[in-house]
Amino acid sequence: MSTHTPVDPAAIARMANRKTAKAGRTVIFRIKRCDGPGKPSYWQDFKVQVPKNANVISCLQQIALSPVTTGGQPSTPVVWESGCLEEVCGSCTMVINGSVRQSCSCLIDDYAPSEGDTLTLEPMSKFPVVRDLWVDRARLFNNLKRVKAWVPIDGTYASGSGPKESPEDQETRYVLSTCMSCGCCLEACPQFNVEADESKWNTDFIGAHAISQARLFNMHETGKRLAAERLEALSGAGGVSDCGNAQNCVKVCPKRIPLTESIAAMGRAVVFHKVKQFFNR
Amino acid sequence: MTTVPASAATAAAPGFLEKHHFLLRRLHSLTGIVPIGVFLVAHLVTNSSLAWGKFGLRGEHAELGLQGGGAYYFQKEVAWINNEVPHLLLIEITLWAAIAFHSIFGVYYALQGKNNIARYSYQGNKRYALQRISGYFGILFIFYHIATLRWGWSFLVPGGTAWDHKFAVSTLATALRGGESFTAAGVAVSIFYFLGISLLVFHFANGIWTAAITWGLTISRQAQERWGYVCAALGAGLMLAAWSALIGALAISPADARKSEELFNKGKGAAIVAPAGPNTAPNIR
Repeated sequence: MSTHTPVDPAAIARMANRKTAKAGRTVIFRIKRCDGPGKPSYWQDFKVQVPKNANVISCLQQIALSPVTTGGQPSTPVVWESGCLEEVCGSCTMVINGSVRQSCSCLIDDYAPSEGDTLTLEPMSKFPVVRDLWVDRARLFNNLKRVKAWVPIDGTYASGSGPKESPEDQETRYVLSTCMSCGCCLEACPQFNVEADESKWNTDFIGAHAISQARLFNMHETGKRLAAERLEALSGAGGVSDCGNAQNCVKVCPKRIPLTESIAAMGRAVVFHKVKQFFNR
Repeated sequence: MTTVPASAATAAAPGFLEKHHFLLRRLHSLTGIVPIGVFLVAHLVTNSSLAWGKFGLRGEHAELGLQGGGAYYFQKEVAWINNEVPHLLLIEITLWAAIAFHSIFGVYYALQGKNNIARYSYQGNKRYALQRISGYFGILFIFYHIATLRWGWSFLVPGGTAWDHKFAVSTLATALRGGESFTAAGVAVSIFYFLGISLLVFHFANGIWTAAITWGLTISRQAQERWGYVCAALGAGLMLAAWSALIGALAISPADARKSEELFNKGKGAAIVAPAGPNTAPNIR
């Protein structure tokens, strides 16, 4: 049984642009900028001579070399966050041409193959902007804490080797473990929205990433020890019941994690958990 | 059994909605299927007899024709519901309470989301948005529908017709037309009905698709896809029933409907007057 979601057909269509894209063409980068937390956003356009196979990051580096807008006004280098540059850390996630993805793996040839094409860059809208394209994803990590997305091995003595994992479970768990906490699923989710009030973080919708990580660790033979606590968190306010089944998460996930299957699996687990609780407690 | 996390202990005591979050969410899901969804199916199938009822009469009263026969059969069904179904008011109150609960919590839950189809125009996302739009519209429609045709708020009906279960088709037809023949306000009411029933059938079909995910019945993508075809087929069938009911109600003139109803009521009246004697009433199947 394949659990992978098919690749977005729009992405396949964009890849065809690679063949026709010419090196050295001028592409306009329309960037939504912001000077600091709470400051107003504004748009600035920059012209970049794009070499073959350039990605968004290399173009942002070019802009940083001479940050002058298309109108000839001197500006400041655009700020962004990045780490691995190979789509496994998630930190360079931003909204490109209206859709969320990692900027390091975003080739300009795919999106803007012709002279004078425009590429739009925005920071993710569901997280507070630190500066320009750099956002603070603290709430994403807070929500992983809500479901205790870890294996409990800390203690005052060595607890020995853990139980064996079955290959079948490993197979299911592997793809879940590739989650890099990038935030794409949250950015595209209509149920996950901006929350400035930190006291509400623990009762607002937790998001597909955390539900899927709860599934991952509930399947882990040692991680199971916290299964009931995770299900308790997922059955409460902002838990798995708050999913609206728009299923955007699974469409935008760069790791093609079957997030909607995780949501359904945890929906089932939570039903059993609550029914058991009703009769046992 | 499980230990309370320290962070939860320091937080303010949860309110009613938060404390019973899971129960309320699942009740919201459940009420949409039982009793509301089950009633919707029964209601639409019954009402569609306005279009096909002639065939249900199996040759009886053939002189009434397609529309008159449909009206006769529908009147018969309405009479059965009103005369034979036990505890009708209790059933109605249960339904109204379930609809009120599903509506109030549905709006409350829907307001927590913020649709983004402009950015992410995936089909699933469009259905997410339409599920909420159909919910809002459906509340307005159901309220108008029950208020005018059940509670007798005839001041909301163009022409002021009050629905009467003994004249089920003719009073429905005049309420939809805005009088004996179509008026502008009547056409507006008919369009409102068309939108209302279509959106509610979608809401139900899409609702049972998402409910299967919510309750964890369909987990794999393939299972969700398979169940999606079942829901689509059910939705298409119900849509057909809903539209044929509306077409049946709009196609018959109130005068023709009255003829069918009087014929039925006369037959039934005769049967009631002389229950012990030889059956002189027309054979009511």
